[in-house]
Amino acid sequence: MSVPFVQRVLKAADRLEEIFMIVALTFMTVLTVFQVVLRYGFGTGIVWSLEATTYTFAWLVLIGMSYGVRTEAHIAVDLVTSRLSSGAARVFAFVALVCGLAYCALMIYGSSLFVERLMTLGTDARDIPLPRWVLTGLMPIAFVLLALRLVQAARPVLWPRPGKTINTGDAQ
Amino acid sequence: MTAGFLIGALLVLLLLRVPIAISLGLSSILTMLLFADQSLVALAQRFFSALQVYPLLSIPFFILAGALMTTGGVAKRMIAFANSLVGHFRGGLAMAALLACALFAAVSGSSPATVVAVGSIMIGGMARSGYTREFAAGMICNAGAIGILIPPSIVMVVYGAVTETSIGDLFIAGVVPGLMLTGMFMIAVAFLARRLNLPRQPRADWRTVLRTGREAIWGLLLVVIILGGIYSGIFTPTEAAAVSAVYAFVIAVFVYRDVGLRDVPRVIADAAKVTAMLMFIIANAYLFAFVLTTEQVPQTMSQWIVDLGLPPWAFLIMLNALLLIAGSFMEATSVVLIFAPIMFPIATALGIHPVHLGIIMTVNMEIGMVTPPVGLNLFVTSGIAKLPVTAVIRAAIPWLVVLLLALVIVTYVPWVSLVLPQWLN
Repeated sequence: MSVPFVQRVLKAADRLEEIFMIVALTFMTVLTVFQVVLRYGFGTGIVWSLEATTYTFAWLVLIGMSYGVRTEAHIAVDLVTSRLSSGAARVFAFVALVCGLAYCALMIYGSSLFVERLMTLGTDARDIPLPRWVLTGLMPIAFVLLALRLVQAARPVLWPRPGKTINTGDAQ
Repeated sequence: MTAGFLIGALLVLLLLRVPIAISLGLSSILTMLLFADQSLVALAQRFFSALQVYPLLSIPFFILAGALMTTGGVAKRMIAFANSLVGHFRGGLAMAALLACALFAAVSGSSPATVVAVGSIMIGGMARSGYTREFAAGMICNAGAIGILIPPSIVMVVYGAVTETSIGDLFIAGVVPGLMLTGMFMIAVAFLARRLNLPRQPRADWRTVLRTGREAIWGLLLVVIILGGIYSGIFTPTEAAAVSAVYAFVIAVFVYRDVGLRDVPRVIADAAKVTAMLMFIIANAYLFAFVLTTEQVPQTMSQWIVDLGLPPWAFLIMLNALLLIAGSFMEATSVVLIFAPIMFPIATALGIHPVHLGIIMTVNMEIGMVTPPVGLNLFVTSGIAKLPVTAVIRAAIPWLVVLLLALVIVTYVPWVSLVLPQWLN
């Protein structure tokens, strides 16, 4: 695989992530308001509306976890790390990455078992005519994506390209 | 022992600069694996179900409404209105900024968003009119905290969801404390204005007041829709939030016309990002609270505190001290998620009203937003004021006196929080 190809794939993934987030939030909002309009305007409602909204919300957050890593949205405490030399900061960043990946691994394992259990049960969702495992199946995948994004975000600190200075976060 | 490991692991992870969400989640999972016989499946299931709690669905909608209002020039018009009202006093521009924070809080459910909306215009404006940049940054960093006290409020949504307290009651209960806090900030500015010889603005005639007021009213109607809609029973808080997001869209794009249709996807993407970041923390805080509950920590702690036989006033001191410490290290919603289940039963046993407890927790979280190391308002202010974080911290600390004084009043005068909800029910 050539480098430009990898970069093209990454770029496409970035774009896809963003489009998904926009569509999900818009869909949730419109569906919820539409339900209110139907109730007062026409005295009816869509049966699957509420459930569809909650599942979309869950997906929005699951995909948003990795989107947040890329856009540096996640909050962290830099009480200690802001006072370190660049060498020590690299060690800390490495340990933090290992912790993040351990978290992802455990969640991938747990959520795969969870989805598998739902598959064995084979029950459908309450109002949406789909098996529950289909609706929750995104969860293990989302944690795989999160792990990939964590590695991608830690790369410039852990393996800086020669000639480039290391940015250790907030300058004091 | 188990609880000690849980909290110890959390602190170590936080200090390693692991993101707060992952720190909460990983410390919970490790504790489960080492000490409890809960399975990873149960945790995964818990995580997913946290993302499906119905009241929490209002969070993305409130964030979206606030984002549309911020980019839609609502803040600009509110500032103009506030300035026409109080600009002619000594220190008038500072007072206008405070009033604008209170007005904007009525369309925004988050403190950092309020700081951004008002601060990005006012910090520069105040610096040009003879205030120091530090004065402006420190004041707005604190005053922006009103964002979670005046409805809507994300912190109150989380408290309401966890303790099953009416979100409508909490919202309406925040109004009087929010206005009181705004008044206290104004008095502080009036006091400083003489000592620092702060400038005045020319007095606006009543025509200007009316015109700016009419322009700002579209934004302020948002809170009327939310509170009116919830209280009249027209819709649930979640639906109210969604309606307010659509309303904000219409106002920003078609009434004020500051946002082009082409800019809307970017605003939605930003709101979605903030939502995901916040909900990732909340879902992991649910895991943390789940581990605490299976370890009987809330029950043990409640029993322990009840056995101490503390009178309500002493319990409230302890509660505030705990929340202030936790609030400075953690993000507000996760503190509420973890502490509300512990404190709620004790408070109820001591005769403290659930809504009153919610307001006390909210004011504590406001203070947490302006205290390091995890003070979101500080970071946000540093970004928009173009000052280093350390300078913002130094500038913000004196104003904390006002917030702490407000905390004492809110804690010991329940009337301030309860007068409106009790009058309405």
